[in-house]
Amino acid sequence: MDAIEYFEVESPEETGRAYYRRIADIVLLDHNLLRVIKKLHISIDPRIPLFIAVGVTKKIPRVVRVRDIADVNVQERKVTLSIGDETYLAPLLKILWAEYGGDKVIQPDRFTVILNIEGADGHQIEEIPVIDPSESLYKDLIYALLVIQPEGFKVRRQYYGKEKFYLVASENTLPENFEDLVKEKFALMGESL
Amino acid sequence: MNLVPITYKGGIYRHDEIMDLIEDLGGYIIQKHILAQEVVLQALVPREDIELIARIGKPLTGEIIPSPLVGTEIAVVTMSLEIHHLPHASCDVAEYVRRMGAKTNMVGLARGFGKRIAQLNDEERDVINEHDLAVYLLGDFETCIEYKFPVIRRGIHVPIIVLGGPSTETLKKIIDPPVDGYVGNVGRFMHRTKESDELEMLDQVVTEITRVLDKKREEIAKDPPTVSPARLMDVISSQVDEIHEVLSPTPITVQMTGLRVKLPYDHFAPVLKDIVVEEGITIGEVAEILPSRMRDYILLRIKPFSETNIMV
Repeated sequence: MDAIEYFEVESPEETGRAYYRRIADIVLLDHNLLRVIKKLHISIDPRIPLFIAVGVTKKIPRVVRVRDIADVNVQERKVTLSIGDETYLAPLLKILWAEYGGDKVIQPDRFTVILNIEGADGHQIEEIPVIDPSESLYKDLIYALLVIQPEGFKVRRQYYGKEKFYLVASENTLPENFEDLVKEKFALMGESL
Repeated sequence: MNLVPITYKGGIYRHDEIMDLIEDLGGYIIQKHILAQEVVLQALVPREDIELIARIGKPLTGEIIPSPLVGTEIAVVTMSLEIHHLPHASCDVAEYVRRMGAKTNMVGLARGFGKRIAQLNDEERDVINEHDLAVYLLGDFETCIEYKFPVIRRGIHVPIIVLGGPSTETLKKIIDPPVDGYVGNVGRFMHRTKESDELEMLDQVVTEITRVLDKKREEIAKDPPTVSPARLMDVISSQVDEIHEVLSPTPITVQMTGLRVKLPYDHFAPVLKDIVVEEGITIGEVAEILPSRMRDYILLRIKPFSETNIMV
């Protein structure tokens, strides 16, 4: 497992900074997120008060499609899917039911799904997106940041996507220029939003 | 007779003999736990008889540990019951203090978090004031503690001990007017306290609580309660049968100058009032019987000697 490349906590109070560094470390470790984060910068100013966390994630697995988890075998009157990885079987079945109807989708055993359809395009089935793992990962990431931040900061803005994320939170209205502050923090890590 | 608080730990075999002995010597058993093959008794016993109990308990693998916090009820005030404060540090502190013999109640404030937005409502205030002492668990930033603490201490008249992330000196500096005790370096943290330096930190908390309570005991000794709370507990548990059907770990909680009786106030307050403690003196004469803000419990505040001129 690669270590995190950049991890800083800044605050005008030195003792508080040290505590929050430890808290952030433990929370990310507990949520199993240290392995997906490449860079993380947290800034807490209790005087305003304002909490800003900005970060960059490592390459995140792309969208999982049917071909990634199953072999598709097209026959004349039916299509047989041999499931290789059943992790995402439940969402796959849900999609197939919605697409072809519950009565056309048969699952004789754990690793086989048969679609009773005629003249199907095998390639098209292979390309059906099943799940986007990055979605849940970013949600976990934001959740972890909410656990790290001092409690009571109920006014917040969050963003994630394109391997970057940020969370700005305060108990007061956020400053109008918070996006500039976020950009500043990204610049500290040698990145740009 | 000078009663001192102790914890007796020993095997379950023949432990009833120890219980009888303590009662025969004029002591009181405040709480009894049975954990598998072990019995833990928290009791108040005459100082001169500790030796005797230790001697009789020895063949039963019993040991006696002095526990200065037995017979006290302590409020551990945590700013909220969110994952930010639970289970660490709030539960760690509450549990550690409990092991030293105190009865701790965790008071999770509804809106205690934040800096500007922190509040304390009247119910929380009254519940905290029903305890012997309040331990406030605050956060890591001194700016926030300085700003919010005046709000969350408003109306609290029991001794307060403040725990927080900044050092003890810093806490002393920023809290004005001063409180009764401070322990620094115990702020918000998210891991279990198991390293030796962390346990030392919890020991410091216990030492500070003991110090503050000793001071309070000295104050109380100048005008002692008309009847000892432990004795009153004994009287109630022998005369009110319903108390034995209460499933709480401590159906009657002993405080330094009072008791919390976990029975509904409306029905049992008149019953308690007429119970005779000794020679025609009723509980109504020696104590105020008040409704507790905690559920529908009863709170007994024993009147001091100066008020009743009776010593039972």
